[in-house]
Amino acid sequence: VQPPEKPLQAEEWNKLREDFQLPEIFEEVMLNSMIRCNSPIDVAKSLLTDLAKRNGDIAYNVLIKYLTLCVQQGQVSEICDVYDIMKVRFKMLESGAYNLLIKGLSNSDQWRMALTLLEEVKKIMIPSRMCYESCIKAASRHQEMKLAFELYKEMLAKDVVPTLDVLQSFFNFSRGMKDAELQKELFGILLYLRENQIYPHKTFMRSIKLWFESIPGGNWRGHLTNIKDSGQCPVCKHQLEDSNLTAEEYSNLSERIIRDVIHGTDTYRKTSPEEFEAFQTFVENRLPFDIVIDGLNVSHIKSRKMQCENLFDAVNCLAKENARLLVLGRKHMLMNSSNWKTEIMKEMQNKADFFFAENISEDDAFLLYATLRSGKHCRFVTRDFLRDHKACLSDSLTRRLFRKWQRGHQIAFSSVFSQQPAFRYDCVVQTTGDTWHIPYKDVFEEKYSYEVPRKWLCIQQK
Amino acid sequence: MQCANVLLGKIVRSSVLPFAAQHGMKKNLFPLSRTLSLSLCLKQEKSCEPSEKLDLDEWKKVMKSGLQEEVSETVLEPKEPSNLAAARETLEMWRLAGRAVPENISEEQLKTFMDCPSKSAKKKYLKYLHIKELHKENDRRKMDEKRERRLEAQNQATNTDETKKSSFIYLSSSTMDKTYNWRAAQSMTFGQPLVFDMSYEKEMSIREVINTVKQIVLSESCNRRSVDPFHIHFCNFKDDSLYHREFIKHYREAWGKLLITVTDQCYTEIFPKDKLIYLTADSPKVMKTFDHDKIYIVGSMVDKSIKTGVSLARAKRLGLETAALPLEKYLLWSTGAKNLTLDQMMHILLTLKDTADWKKALEFVPRRKHCGFVNKPVKELKKTLDLINTLKLRKGREEVEKQFAKNHPKK
Repeated sequence: VQPPEKPLQAEEWNKLREDFQLPEIFEEVMLNSMIRCNSPIDVAKSLLTDLAKRNGDIAYNVLIKYLTLCVQQGQVSEICDVYDIMKVRFKMLESGAYNLLIKGLSNSDQWRMALTLLEEVKKIMIPSRMCYESCIKAASRHQEMKLAFELYKEMLAKDVVPTLDVLQSFFNFSRGMKDAELQKELFGILLYLRENQIYPHKTFMRSIKLWFESIPGGNWRGHLTNIKDSGQCPVCKHQLEDSNLTAEEYSNLSERIIRDVIHGTDTYRKTSPEEFEAFQTFVENRLPFDIVIDGLNVSHIKSRKMQCENLFDAVNCLAKENARLLVLGRKHMLMNSSNWKTEIMKEMQNKADFFFAENISEDDAFLLYATLRSGKHCRFVTRDFLRDHKACLSDSLTRRLFRKWQRGHQIAFSSVFSQQPAFRYDCVVQTTGDTWHIPYKDVFEEKYSYEVPRKWLCIQQK
Repeated sequence: MQCANVLLGKIVRSSVLPFAAQHGMKKNLFPLSRTLSLSLCLKQEKSCEPSEKLDLDEWKKVMKSGLQEEVSETVLEPKEPSNLAAARETLEMWRLAGRAVPENISEEQLKTFMDCPSKSAKKKYLKYLHIKELHKENDRRKMDEKRERRLEAQNQATNTDETKKSSFIYLSSSTMDKTYNWRAAQSMTFGQPLVFDMSYEKEMSIREVINTVKQIVLSESCNRRSVDPFHIHFCNFKDDSLYHREFIKHYREAWGKLLITVTDQCYTEIFPKDKLIYLTADSPKVMKTFDHDKIYIVGSMVDKSIKTGVSLARAKRLGLETAALPLEKYLLWSTGAKNLTLDQMMHILLTLKDTADWKKALEFVPRRKHCGFVNKPVKELKKTLDLINTLKLRKGREEVEKQFAKNHPKK
């Protein structure tokens, strides 16, 4: 339905309603289309007046729709009126109404009322992140940074994940302020980005840069740059943190991989105890390896070639410089077949160690174990993103460690045998006190989760 | 003043007074009500005739007038613990806002609702209750309609007063039950065993266990009605487990009289190991024929959260042979997981036992999961299916065209 352009009289509304197929939901449908077309608020008012005169009452869902329209157009006095009506009419409101009210009021000079509403919401449930976002933005817009940070911390304490918009608004509204306390809080946000491996987008990055450069007497300068493969920043010549885990992190991760990925709830799901034990003794006797290869994954790189030839190419390519190789496969590879020729398999076994798992076992779990057991220098080859194994890990901290380790140790082959190198440096927000390096996403929203941004913001203090 | 308000509210609601009178009176009685801003009035006058001026804020007055009455009504409510009452209020408001929330909710359900760990879990639970309520409502309505129709038919029958004569004996349902039970009893002594492995309770949520039991009840009934029933064994069955309680909910007194074997022993303790075959969709081995001398095991598990390989792991641990249905071989699979429900499994196994005809047996695989039976070589069919899919989804269309151009080069 097309909403009318001018307020209508009761008779005119009546006519429209009669023409409509389902008169019971006429008001709802009409208000929905008003919201869509952003109709003048007077039109909606005339509809409500008609409704009120006919029924002597207006249903809650219709009021909510009207409120949505008011919020959309920033009609503050109307929002207040609707709130007054709702407050006396209903004992309590539900989350949708609170969200709307908070959003509407936080953008006006009545923003403090949004804060009292937030308090009210807290009594019945955990407020949504949009509620917090509105309030924090309103507070920081009015230079009440302390209040804004209080809300932010409260949000984190309740496990509500802040939007990037909230974080950005802190930097936007703190520009040019000289306040040591505030500075510490903002550094805290950057560390939050680091801990959660969040990458800011381009506009957010610009806000960060502008804030740094605006600190009075701070002498900070920011430059956009690309980091070399060696991990050195071309602007300040500083070496970025390397991707290796600390000894403690490393042992923690390998322990967790064995516990959660290989054994899980039932060792029999991925392998069997006998097989795993056999594999463990096999690996212990031949340690350490330099590169561990997922044989079956690599053998599928080129679909036109025979599978064992693909593997043969990969092994030859990696066997240079006396690297110790381990190839993981399944027993069916040993059967002479059109894809697996026994002669080629024999030849490969001279160049690398092979372990063949049962056909129904998961070889990926063995891949992880062998690589971790060999030590920090060891890398592994597969095109698999290993997401299912990451998902087996029970807590987010270990999952993050896994991703970091994976970035630093996985070699991925594309269809022609060009190796994509494992990253030598770690791709997170990092600082040395007088420098900050912040990776950012070039495009506003799109980045695959396995991709790491290549562009960096380098900030140094002169 | 307040009394007057209430009174007025009532009058307004019953809308006895003409509109003009309300308008005039209320202006004086309600100091609260906002007056229109001047600019709004001016705009109004332009758009409408001066004689029928539209008061756009009229609705606010009406809303405020009905207040006192409402408030006094809501005070009288059954006492409940405050947090439960608050939750009930919130639900009521959500319902008013048009969300999928049940109209009536019991205290127990309310507690489950509050125990849900996250917002989305709460939403899901409410939606589930809402849909359940709608179904119940619908069923009740249909029942009523049916009863009415039956009464009408009866009336007509008495009017015409015709007596039917038939040379066949009328078989009442209890007679049929007796026959079925006789067969089931025979299967207890001579029938081929079929094992339900009841050891998955830990792997499932409560809802999954409830669904499992429902499926088993269906399987048991279709087994009982078949010409040559299986001898059903529930193995690894713990007394007082969630399974047990759910079964009693379904069968009531009949639970003790069921013609099946229920035991807490494992199937490996009852049957020789080399005769057991564990049926699981994850098995690398595909079943070729139905063997009348083997004992098939079905895992009593509904797996909504994709726990691959749980039943395969169980069979591996016990060193049992495993098998999967040859779904790929006979059906052109399109969507959905290859694990079937327990009652579908039962239908398939019963048909196999009676006829050994795979095509007939696999009729019981839901139609939505496959696009029909294989009659050409699978590879060829796959190609056409891929073509259909790409055309349907308009995805990778260029790729198909490229492939086509390659296969049919222009001269």
